[in-house]
Amino acid sequence: MTLLRVNQVHKIYPSGTHALKGVSFEVEKGEFLVIIGLSGSGKSTLLRCINRLHEPTSGNIQFNGRDITHVKGKELRQLKRQIGMVFQQFNLIKRRSVLVNVLTGALGRMGTFQSLTENFPQKLVDEAMEALKTVGIEEKAHIRADALSGGQQQRVAIARSLMQHPDLLLADEPVASLDPATSNSVMQYFEKINKKFGTTVICNLHFLSLVRKYATRVIALKAGEIIYEGLPEDIDDDWFKTIYGEEAEEVEIR
Amino acid sequence: MTLSDAQGVMEKKRMKDRTKAKVKAALLDSFFVFYSILVVDRVIWDRFILQLRETHFSWAETGLFALISLFVGVVWSLTGTSLSDRLFGLAKPTKTAKLTFEIFGWFLFNITFIAGWIITKISIVDLFSDEGVAAAQRIFAALFSPRMAIFDEALFAIIETIYIALVATLISIPITLVVSFLSARNLMNDNKFTLLIYAFFRLISNFVRSIEPLIWAIIFSVWIGIGPYAGMLALLIHTIASNAKLYSEAIESIEEGPIEAISATGANKLQVIWYAVIPQIILPFLSFTIYRWDINVRMATIIGLVGGGGIGTMLIQYQGLAQWHEVGLIVIMIALVVWIMDYISTKIRQAIY
Repeated sequence: MTLLRVNQVHKIYPSGTHALKGVSFEVEKGEFLVIIGLSGSGKSTLLRCINRLHEPTSGNIQFNGRDITHVKGKELRQLKRQIGMVFQQFNLIKRRSVLVNVLTGALGRMGTFQSLTENFPQKLVDEAMEALKTVGIEEKAHIRADALSGGQQQRVAIARSLMQHPDLLLADEPVASLDPATSNSVMQYFEKINKKFGTTVICNLHFLSLVRKYATRVIALKAGEIIYEGLPEDIDDDWFKTIYGEEAEEVEIR
Repeated sequence: MTLSDAQGVMEKKRMKDRTKAKVKAALLDSFFVFYSILVVDRVIWDRFILQLRETHFSWAETGLFALISLFVGVVWSLTGTSLSDRLFGLAKPTKTAKLTFEIFGWFLFNITFIAGWIITKISIVDLFSDEGVAAAQRIFAALFSPRMAIFDEALFAIIETIYIALVATLISIPITLVVSFLSARNLMNDNKFTLLIYAFFRLISNFVRSIEPLIWAIIFSVWIGIGPYAGMLALLIHTIASNAKLYSEAIESIEEGPIEAISATGANKLQVIWYAVIPQIILPFLSFTIYRWDINVRMATIIGLVGGGGIGTMLIQYQGLAQWHEVGLIVIMIALVVWIMDYISTKIRQAIY
């Protein structure tokens, strides 16, 4: 069943940058789709158009069969609730505990007054502990978020997105600021969520070895256009040079 | 909006920006020329070279200067070699343009400094005249032998001053919070209406801030009568305006990441502010506020001079009576309190970070 349908999407920023030039693709439920491409090729913009942190300039996006290209207000917040997102820089609230950070994933479900008084129901707290258990750091629940290592912070961010019970999980270069060993372990949690909960994952990645290990399908962007769509095994040296330029050489990460 | 429309709009915007920059450059150049003519003619020629005591003034002559300047400025800026062309990035990359920039810039700086020297009437002779030095000696001698008889009275007055500053700072906090959120661009750029609110609060607080607390104290002492209440209100309104600027700048410079992350969970605006904005600004806010209390104690003494109550009012009374020994005691007490406040506020701010 098709979860997401992106059709001829263009994005032009107010600065004049033409970041996406007519991107079209579809994503089936349960896929682990990886998007590759150089920095500045439009990968991040694409993800932000899907969960509508940005509004596409033209074209349309359908999510769960509904046109979400220009939804606003309450409808937009409803949409964002259904799509989890994990960022390169983790984007946690540094001064708050890990638990509160995870609970922020449930803000969309809470009343405004209840959430501003930080009166979290026991049910949500239990759920947050469960999410932390899924990413294997439940013992850190009461530590300040900025006291954790990079890999641990990214796992907290994953737990936060789990609180949304997302139909779709977006990850914007989730391991780009982590060391190789940690990268692999963080990617394993995405795989776990994909397999265990059947959550569809769209992930921007740089390292082809990680792409081959985790992706069920790959899309390559270059200068805002899709230049490759297919299986990760099929990306050979020629494709690699087309995507990353003649000078590029593949770096292994295990 | 279709794609080609969007590209057309961008192209038009670029053209419009360049035209705007050209107009601004021409106006700025005209101003520079006008300024040079006025300074050279009025200050350097009339007052310094001709040593005129009173200078004549006529709108006709000034208007003529302005017209000439406008003409010269526009023509000059159109050649692409003027000062403003360079400031706005419109200058041609020629040697002449570079040379004009350096020579005219240096010329403007020098006439400004010379005019400043003439206008301030700087005179080394006055500073060290016998008469002057003797008077200074008298005052310093009195200041350094303070009369302790008024110590109790001065103590109460200075406590009043500290409380005026404290109350003004405390009351300012909640109001400043609200105003600063409404005047932070990154929180108010949702649509035209919120931007209008932003512009409104920016305008009001810029206006209030540009009027010194001393003037506010005069206004309030007329409004509600001389005394500590007037002084407190003067400090309060100025504190709100200045801290709202500092607070909103702190809000504008926070990390975007957490805001993006929290709004990506489907949280509403208030929830985003509570979870992604406030944790990032709480420390700078505290630090500004404590520092402002320290500033307010100093300002409260000055405000007392115009009827804002506290130690300042007492100081101006004794100064009016030329009772320099009493003034000496008050000055020493003010210095002591300001020094202690400064020390405490620095310590607290260091402890916070």
